[in-house]
Amino acid sequence: MSGEEPERPDTPSLEKRVTQPGRHVGDRYVRIMRPTGSGIKGHGGRYVATEQTMDRTGRVGHAWDGAVRFLIGKRLHSDAESEERVSVATGLPILASDNISSSAYATEEAMRILAIAGTAALALTMPIALAVVFVLAIVILSESRVIRAYPNGGGSYLVARENHGVIAGLVAASALLIDYVLTVAVSTAAGVAAISSFFPELHTQRVAVGVVLIAVLAIANLRGVREAGLLFAAPTYAYMLAMYGLLAFGLFRIFAGDVPAPVAPPDPFLPEGTAALSILLVLRAFASGSVGLTGSEAVANGVPSFRRPEARNAVITLVLMGTIFATIFLGVTYLATRIGIQPDQSEIETVNSMITRAVVGTGTPFYYFVQITTAVILLLAANTGFTGFPRLASVLANDRFMPRHFADVGSRMAFNTGIVVLSVLAAVILAAFGGSVNALVPLYTIGVFLAFTLSQSGLVRRWRRLRNPGWRLSIVINSFGAVVTGTVLIVVAVTKFALGAWMVMILIPVIVALLYAINRHYQTTQDALVLSGPEQRVPVYAAPVVIVPIARLDRAALQSLAFARSVSPTVKAVHVSTSRASADEFRARWNRLDTDVALDVVESPFRSLVQPLLRYIDAIDKSDDRPITVVLSEFVPRHWWEWFLHSQTAFRLKAALLFRPNTIVIDVPYHYQDTADLARR
Amino acid sequence: MQPKRILVALAGSSADPDVIRLVAWIAKPAKAEVVGIHVIEVRWNLPLDAVMEPELDRGEELLESAKKVADQAGLDLETELLQARDAAAAIVDTAVERKCDLIVVAMPYRKRLGRVYVGRTVQNVYVNAPCAVLAYRQEETK
Repeated sequence: MSGEEPERPDTPSLEKRVTQPGRHVGDRYVRIMRPTGSGIKGHGGRYVATEQTMDRTGRVGHAWDGAVRFLIGKRLHSDAESEERVSVATGLPILASDNISSSAYATEEAMRILAIAGTAALALTMPIALAVVFVLAIVILSESRVIRAYPNGGGSYLVARENHGVIAGLVAASALLIDYVLTVAVSTAAGVAAISSFFPELHTQRVAVGVVLIAVLAIANLRGVREAGLLFAAPTYAYMLAMYGLLAFGLFRIFAGDVPAPVAPPDPFLPEGTAALSILLVLRAFASGSVGLTGSEAVANGVPSFRRPEARNAVITLVLMGTIFATIFLGVTYLATRIGIQPDQSEIETVNSMITRAVVGTGTPFYYFVQITTAVILLLAANTGFTGFPRLASVLANDRFMPRHFADVGSRMAFNTGIVVLSVLAAVILAAFGGSVNALVPLYTIGVFLAFTLSQSGLVRRWRRLRNPGWRLSIVINSFGAVVTGTVLIVVAVTKFALGAWMVMILIPVIVALLYAINRHYQTTQDALVLSGPEQRVPVYAAPVVIVPIARLDRAALQSLAFARSVSPTVKAVHVSTSRASADEFRARWNRLDTDVALDVVESPFRSLVQPLLRYIDAIDKSDDRPITVVLSEFVPRHWWEWFLHSQTAFRLKAALLFRPNTIVIDVPYHYQDTADLARR
Repeated sequence: MQPKRILVALAGSSADPDVIRLVAWIAKPAKAEVVGIHVIEVRWNLPLDAVMEPELDRGEELLESAKKVADQAGLDLETELLQARDAAAAIVDTAVERKCDLIVVAMPYRKRLGRVYVGRTVQNVYVNAPCAVLAYRQEETK
């Protein structure tokens, strides 16, 4: 009811005002009566549900609330949204940890491919690393344009949708969704690999450890973006400290003429190699090294997570991220090639671990510091997936391409559905690939380069259309970005196709079709539900025909009959009986009842109750134009486990009638009361 | 005296928690019913039942706080929000209607012209209440 319309005196209201006369003339006063403890505040038809309304009742409810609050923290008020935003210092670990952490394994991934052609081919690692950094510089320059053009976030999906059309947008979104899931799986697997480098016993349990770590990350993210950022800030900066310390010490030793002796891997590749060095192999190594570019799109997608000015803070974070990645990646690659480190074929020890052992010695505190911080940042890199996937899913849900639950904001301002779905998918993929980084990486880079290419080319079209000041330079930058990322995409797709990239190439169109189908469903539903004009009258219906199925004449049945009579004057009770004798007995009992409700008894010699009742309702529906309302009486026992002791016919009928058109089903629950209670009433 | 029904007038001052604890101390041995009321005074240029949102919000908040203090003190406090032209008259009338045998009013320590200031409402309750009245004055602020 709108605030202007006077309420009918019998309309239920949260607030009653009773004027009392007082003892003297002029002493009248108004008593404002409100139910206490409801947790709903406000007056005059405008109310606000306080946090108290969120509290569950009962012992189980209290225990559940307690457990949830312990795990994910206190509920946050909607006004706290701005406080949940991040600065550059906290945004860097949240959104850039994926890209920065890639420096822990990008060198190794390139070396692993080159080593197939023998140890001599490892000399090509540095040129490949330089090529990767060059592509990264192009990507960062182009992504900063994306941020300026779309300061409200949305990233590649929004850019592609606006400039290339819906399908291209969905392709970019699908590619990114896949990429985010793989980010979590790959980063977790790489984190576990870093731990198993100094705890080899964990190698056999890597899937279980990975799944536990994904669960921990999910809980941290359910606590909210800012808290996750604060939690992850220290390890990210610790990793940077460890790596820059390692690089500084390693370079110092090399330039001082004390080149560290190489550490042999536990399971080395054959020195002469198993394949010839070919252009394709070099391209494969470049494609594997390009894994270091993943995560650079997260900043552009997460612009709204930043404090004001969002776009400026995002660009600063993006540039910082690129600089940090590039210096660590090039430094590690230089040390690996200069020292002569070879990758480990069985993935027991990482290249970074061997470099650290060579530079600072095995078992030194600094070695453990580097390994632990590497393991932690690789896990935090998974957090980029947790930041990106739920946000992109919420954008897609708001555009009605994904189920609406993905747009729901949880009690800590996080997109809970996205976080939970991402965790489950990542855990399943991790388990399916046995927790191997090497097996997962080929799937990884396709999505991100596809999204990059679509967004870069989308921006080119945008600049051509808008022709803003400086549009020519922007076109040159983004065209170059599109060509470079498109080339990398083709290289990755071709070289990794047989290794698993084919799965992503099949999955992307499947997800696009799924998103499109979801959108079609929402469109048709909206068309069916939308009001045709701004001013609508509430239709007035004739009183319905009410059918009350009655199994037994008891208190629950009388309650549902009484309710049915209050709804309509046309009420029909129906009893399905399994034999003539029980039908006669029921009618005899009914005749003794003081009621004007007519009764039909349906005999069911095949003992089925639900089907004859449904056919009876069909027959009544055909014979009468008025809408059918079925009033079901449902006995509710005192404890949940007592449900199994009752036949739940009402429940089965409800389920059967749920999809019957033009049928209103009203459930009248009859809660268990002991006989002492009834006697008192 | 063993009161059976006590009315405690709450103004939202710093004396409210003290007076609730005092009432709990009196009511618990006597097993007395206690009702806490807050009266919103309505200016004459407004209708008596005008919806004054800030005052209503404040009234609800202070009654909620009072309930919390009462819970901590082991007292079952029923609360009521009233609107009247004159708070003292509404307090006295509610006490009469509810057959209260004790009204407890609270005064924060404040001075005017060098003398402790009691206030119009407390004075009028004192003068007009047919039942016993206990006025609690907060200690002097140091």
